[in-house]
Amino acid sequence: MTNPLDPPEGNWWDQAVNRREALWLGIAGVWSLGIFGWMSGFTRFGDQNPVGETFEVEPAEFEEMLESYRMDADWTSEAAIEERRAPEENEQVPRTGRLREEGQEDIDGQGTVIVPPGDSVYIMGRQFNWGGLPVVLEAGREYDIHLGARDVQHGFSVRPGDSLSQQINLQIFPDTEWVVPMTFEDADTYHVICNEFCGEGHAGMHGEFYVVEPDEYDTVVGE
Amino acid sequence: MLATLKGLFGNDYDEDGFRTCSVTGLRIHRSAEVHVKLFGLTAVIALVIGGIFALTVAATRWEVLGLVGEFDGYYRHLSMHAWNILIFWMVFMEIAILYVGGPMVLGRRLPLTSVAKAGWGLMVAGALGINYFIWTLSGGSDAPLLTAYVPLDVPPGFYASALVFLVGATVAALPFLVTIWQEKRGNWSATLPLVTFGAFVTFIIAVQAILGGLAAFSYALIWQIGIIDSINTGIYRQLYWIIGHGSQQINLLAMITVWYFLTHVVGGAVVVSEKVSRTAFIMYLFFINLGAAHHLMVDPGLSVGWRIFNTSYAFYGAALASMIHAFAIPAGLEAGRRQRGLGGGLFGWLTSAPWKNPIFASTIFSIILFGFLGGISGVLMGQLQLNMTWHNTFATVGHFHATVALGTTLAFMGLVFFVIKTMFRRNLISDRLALVVPYGYAAAMGLASLLMMYVGILYGVPRRTSEVVSNIPGSDFSLSAAEPLFLVLGPMTILAILVGVVFVLVAVGSLLLGSRAGEDDDEALLPEGGLQPNGGTESVHAIEMRGTFTLCLMFMATFVLMYILNWFLLTRLWSIGA
Repeated sequence: MTNPLDPPEGNWWDQAVNRREALWLGIAGVWSLGIFGWMSGFTRFGDQNPVGETFEVEPAEFEEMLESYRMDADWTSEAAIEERRAPEENEQVPRTGRLREEGQEDIDGQGTVIVPPGDSVYIMGRQFNWGGLPVVLEAGREYDIHLGARDVQHGFSVRPGDSLSQQINLQIFPDTEWVVPMTFEDADTYHVICNEFCGEGHAGMHGEFYVVEPDEYDTVVGE
Repeated sequence: MLATLKGLFGNDYDEDGFRTCSVTGLRIHRSAEVHVKLFGLTAVIALVIGGIFALTVAATRWEVLGLVGEFDGYYRHLSMHAWNILIFWMVFMEIAILYVGGPMVLGRRLPLTSVAKAGWGLMVAGALGINYFIWTLSGGSDAPLLTAYVPLDVPPGFYASALVFLVGATVAALPFLVTIWQEKRGNWSATLPLVTFGAFVTFIIAVQAILGGLAAFSYALIWQIGIIDSINTGIYRQLYWIIGHGSQQINLLAMITVWYFLTHVVGGAVVVSEKVSRTAFIMYLFFINLGAAHHLMVDPGLSVGWRIFNTSYAFYGAALASMIHAFAIPAGLEAGRRQRGLGGGLFGWLTSAPWKNPIFASTIFSIILFGFLGGISGVLMGQLQLNMTWHNTFATVGHFHATVALGTTLAFMGLVFFVIKTMFRRNLISDRLALVVPYGYAAAMGLASLLMMYVGILYGVPRRTSEVVSNIPGSDFSLSAAEPLFLVLGPMTILAILVGVVFVLVAVGSLLLGSRAGEDDDEALLPEGGLQPNGGTESVHAIEMRGTFTLCLMFMATFVLMYILNWFLLTRLWSIGA
């Protein structure tokens, strides 16, 4: 055996490795390959992967896409959603946030919550709120969530109000549109906060998804 | 004042400028020692500045105190904390470590001392510039934090200063490279000592990281001053993380080199297999910098194949290398101490170790906590899918405090004590206070790191925000369920900072007021029987390593358990992704 401050003498390469050290090398090697295999396999069989199509897009273009989506959308109100939720569920739902969307005043009494015209949902981070939120979604239905930003990078951080430990985080770029499919199984109010520093005002970026059961959804959206 | 400073840099050298270290037996030249002291002292100053801002940041994130509001400059405070501790304290220490691992261990002069001084000057200038531009932000400019992500409006002077600092670090590292070249010239087949070899690999990793940094900050700089019109977010992030993560790999390698060095000198460790330990360093060389991709797992625009290959350091090559060191270093201690007949049974070699020596305790706590908290969490959050639940949450902050604040800083604190005793030749002003440092810091920062991970993963508390737990401004929603955990986390972070204050007091106090250390004082520093005991030539096969093996199995069990737990949490989520 040698010390780390002197050059080892003789043929140190061919000296046998201690039995337990060799065994540990095997265990660590198998584990390394194992967790690689699991991560790789999960992209094929798993249901939670940060994967979706991306497109290069100018921030202004993405903003236009959001605007035309909003033009096509129907509207409902927070009150209508709360009303349709089952009473016992209603008690658990935390009080929802104040709506701070610019250009989303309840002008004609239709409400401020977007009802997506199709399966696409557009969300745009901007200093300092979320364009495209709040939105009402149907539980169990797959939506394509189009993520983009108008100015700087933002962090798309989502969790249901009833279960804070179920949370995910995606990075949003101002020059990229990322289309990530999502299916929300549980009806709840999902809260979005920004978790990438985007300037002074960042801490106040908050928006919501209202996910409602399919039968309630029809009533809420007025069909 | 000047006389005191001059006294600090002096020692009894012979005519040729050499002296023999009475602790390590190394032949040390004045040129190397003076520069190690210069870079080491500068590092401690950076630690003090970063530590002051650690306090304001900690007292803000504990929202009960809520010291600095978002609009009162919180993000400036956070930027100051990050750059001074994570970059300046670390990199100045690392240059010092290169000079120890190169010229000191090899018994050479430090060549090109004027280049070393120029490097120091550039690094200091860059560091001062960065501090200046962060602190004087105005007119709607954005704080850079650590990452200076484009297209935030970060002042061009900031990017320019960062470039100066990086160039300075490269210049300062050059004399190390020349030392290795001088050593090997005409003697190419000779083997370097393991510590020098580790320092050399650290140097190469550092060069890779710095090249990425130069590219990233130049790109942002020419955009900010208007030479190019637009900047690509994703490309900047890829370039930035070559240095952003790569600089942490410099920390890792420097720390592991220090582990081999200090476990040997104060604990009596040997190298159980040169082949295995060196192979692990070589694996780092090839694989570790791929880990920069950890930061890009939930970025748009990168293919799944690219992300999986890089985040796993090519099939976990670098994680395997770390697990090799995780065995080799404690095994070296076990074998070395068993050879000396110190402690029988499974763990006697460990329980009989010099736990009252702050240098030894710092090193061992650094090894254990880095592995169990920092290493495991790093692999977990680096998995493509799990990263969705870790990315930019407080759990990330927990991870890098476990690696850098617990692992690297604790090891470097031990090293600073060691340098004070062996190079400045001063006794510590209080051995008892010095002992508070490893125990107090390991406990407080260990618990704080764990809780940061806990609130991040299980409550989704984000990083990089002034408030969000008790209150999200303008909203009725908040993460207030996490408040009780902050009642422990908040005080623990502040306690850890107070222990940091004790460290600085002992270090600076000993330099200024400590009594001169003599050869009698060295005895207490060395392992029982001295550094080179008689006998002890038994083959590696005759030495038991079952204590280390048991510890490693415990580590693996923890790893597997945490892995399953994290994946269980992930699969409870709604369905995401194509």
